[in-house]
Amino acid sequence: MKLAGNDMLIQSLINEGVEFIFGYPGGAALHIYDAIFNQSEIQHILVRHEQAATHAADGYTRATGKVGVVLVTSGPGATNAITGIATAFMDSIPMIVISGQVQSHLIGTDAFQETDMIGISRPIVKHSFTVESQESIPRILKEAFYIATSGRPGPVVIDVPKDLTHPDFKFDFEYPKEAKIRSYNPPILPLEDQVKRAVEAILEAKQPVIYAGGGTISSNASNELIKFQKLTNAPVTNTLMGLGVFPATNKNFMGMLGMHGTYQANMAMHNADLIIAVGARFDDRITNTPEKFAPKAKIIHLDVDHSSVSKIIEADVAVFGQVKESLSAINKLLEASESQCQDLSAWHEQIQEWRSKHGLNHNLFKNKDDEHPILPQAAVQHIYQASEGKAFVTSDVGQHQMFAAQYYHFDEPRKWINSGGLGTMGFGLPSAMGAKLAFPEEEVICITGEGSIQMCIQELSTCAQYKLPIKIFNINNLALGMVKQWQDMNYDGRHSSISYEDSLPDFVKLAESFGHVGIKITKNSQLQDGIEEALSYKDKLVFVDIYVDPDEHVYPMLVAPEGSMKDMWLDKDLKT
Amino acid sequence: MENKPGALARVVGLFHQRGYNIDSLHVDPITDFSPYSFIEKELSITFKADEISRLTIETTVSDSLMRQILRQINKLIEVLAVSNEKSTYLKGVLRDENLLR
Ligand SMILES: Cc1ncc(C[n+]2csc(CCOP(=O)(O)OP(=O)(O)O)c2C)c(N)n1
Ligand SMILES: [Mg+2]
Repeated sequence: MKLAGNDMLIQSLINEGVEFIFGYPGGAALHIYDAIFNQSEIQHILVRHEQAATHAADGYTRATGKVGVVLVTSGPGATNAITGIATAFMDSIPMIVISGQVQSHLIGTDAFQETDMIGISRPIVKHSFTVESQESIPRILKEAFYIATSGRPGPVVIDVPKDLTHPDFKFDFEYPKEAKIRSYNPPILPLEDQVKRAVEAILEAKQPVIYAGGGTISSNASNELIKFQKLTNAPVTNTLMGLGVFPATNKNFMGMLGMHGTYQANMAMHNADLIIAVGARFDDRITNTPEKFAPKAKIIHLDVDHSSVSKIIEADVAVFGQVKESLSAINKLLEASESQCQDLSAWHEQIQEWRSKHGLNHNLFKNKDDEHPILPQAAVQHIYQASEGKAFVTSDVGQHQMFAAQYYHFDEPRKWINSGGLGTMGFGLPSAMGAKLAFPEEEVICITGEGSIQMCIQELSTCAQYKLPIKIFNINNLALGMVKQWQDMNYDGRHSSISYEDSLPDFVKLAESFGHVGIKITKNSQLQDGIEEALSYKDKLVFVDIYVDPDEHVYPMLVAPEGSMKDMWLDKDLKT
Repeated sequence: MENKPGALARVVGLFHQRGYNIDSLHVDPITDFSPYSFIEKELSITFKADEISRLTIETTVSDSLMRQILRQINKLIEVLAVSNEKSTYLKGVLRDENLLR
């Protein structure tokens, strides 16, 4: 088969089983857009800003495990995609970003809409390619998908000069069956010896904690993790990125850990004698001061990325390999082992004591009359109940994100979709579009804030065009609440540049102007009915603007700087 | 590392990005492969002329940071192997006990 460069690109994507391209056209990408026009296997989703294309592809990937594809033009199209590429990179989300480039002979001349995309994106991609000939297109695409999805996943950029996609120049096209890169061999199976040492440590532990993160989700290791917990009876905590990989309603789940983690999860980490880190990377939002981290604990670290292990916290036993394979190997050895795990009942009792002393859910509904403002936590609880805990939930960044993580209890992986590593405001709505396109029959909810939603609010138009009945719950506290909380706590309440109360749009009218439904909730007595009404519209996007207590803070919160994981603020005037 | 355009920039960029200092840097294409036959053997490949280059970087850091730098460099897709006086990291080959933690 002979194909021109533009058709080669699209045909390669078809061969990879791609369903959607999220993109935005422009000069350098025009030949490629013509190739899209001439086929019917891939649907192109025209967003309203390239940032949203990357977040939508990202949301699609987090929900499905399949790779999202983005297509942008050169110059401003490419630079607008940067935030979304960085967001994917920080959370190890695979993504293919194809950027148009000016014609080969113009590169380096400051041509119209020329930008060094490879240079700009270098620190935020797993790898990148410049297409130098049409013949190399199929190989590059094959390698790009392989690199993006294997090992520790991540985004890959492919920069394509316009002349190499010209429809008049055709070349032999054969899509390679597999990619082989001699300088890239990510580990899959763990070494036997490492597995053995891990199991020895597990069998000795009296106060173990399983600390599982996003790598457990990307490796599809939820079942292996659940089995591992059964075999060891150890309590489990998940990172913000790992929520759902272990069922939140399981009695052995302690909740999220870290900066806004539960009291019991943070206390358990601090007092553990063994921490089994599974696809997690001891991020600074977890460890608090690394020197004071879990002073008594041995560390077992399961990870596919060599450079993540002993980067921040020295591991005693490292198990390199796909987390799924490493857990399976450990489970097998545990099952075969003659010795039993230690009796953990005292440890579980201790955790239960912590949980009942300062766990979440305390006094939440105590003031639920209309004299009192709506608590944001209560809003999330109602969303959780009304959606029966089964929805895909995307979020933005701020207090609402933490309340969603704390009070929406995820029982399955891939249901909770948020920007953990980069913390990108604007992520919520476009990532919900990606999830909804992948799962049109499932409930897709975006829990956002009035600050964050405005960062990609133009996508309400995309949702209208492709009829995406997402449910947006805007936890409206009339301010950049998370920033305000820090100013309350660290700057004596000097609220510098965090409010815009008088200039917020009427979100109900705004939603209606796109043909969506808008609902405004200001009182506790409207909360449950309003949320249920929103979810009852099956074919409509509904924007629910929920006015909440503007003075609420997120707790627990680790005390920094200098604190350990046991040092927490539990309320405005209560510290551990 | 593979002698490909952009490969050097990735290594140098990594140093800057992660805040490591470069005291000196030298890069040249490898013509005599004999010191590198262990790479060929371990990865079951055969080098051809002009295919790979050697990059020599001098930097002064603590042992634990050195280990982190080696691992970060080894992670770059176009790097085949990286070593200092004490240890050698080869793509996808982890045998030496010292490298495992
Ligand atoms: C793009 C971007 N800019 C700035 C920030 C810093 N930031 C973190 S949370 C936050 C406030 C978010 O406000 P809102 O969306 O209303 O959420 P709230 O905290 O009020 O629930 C800001 C500005 C960020 N995370 N992302
Ligand atoms: Mg707000």
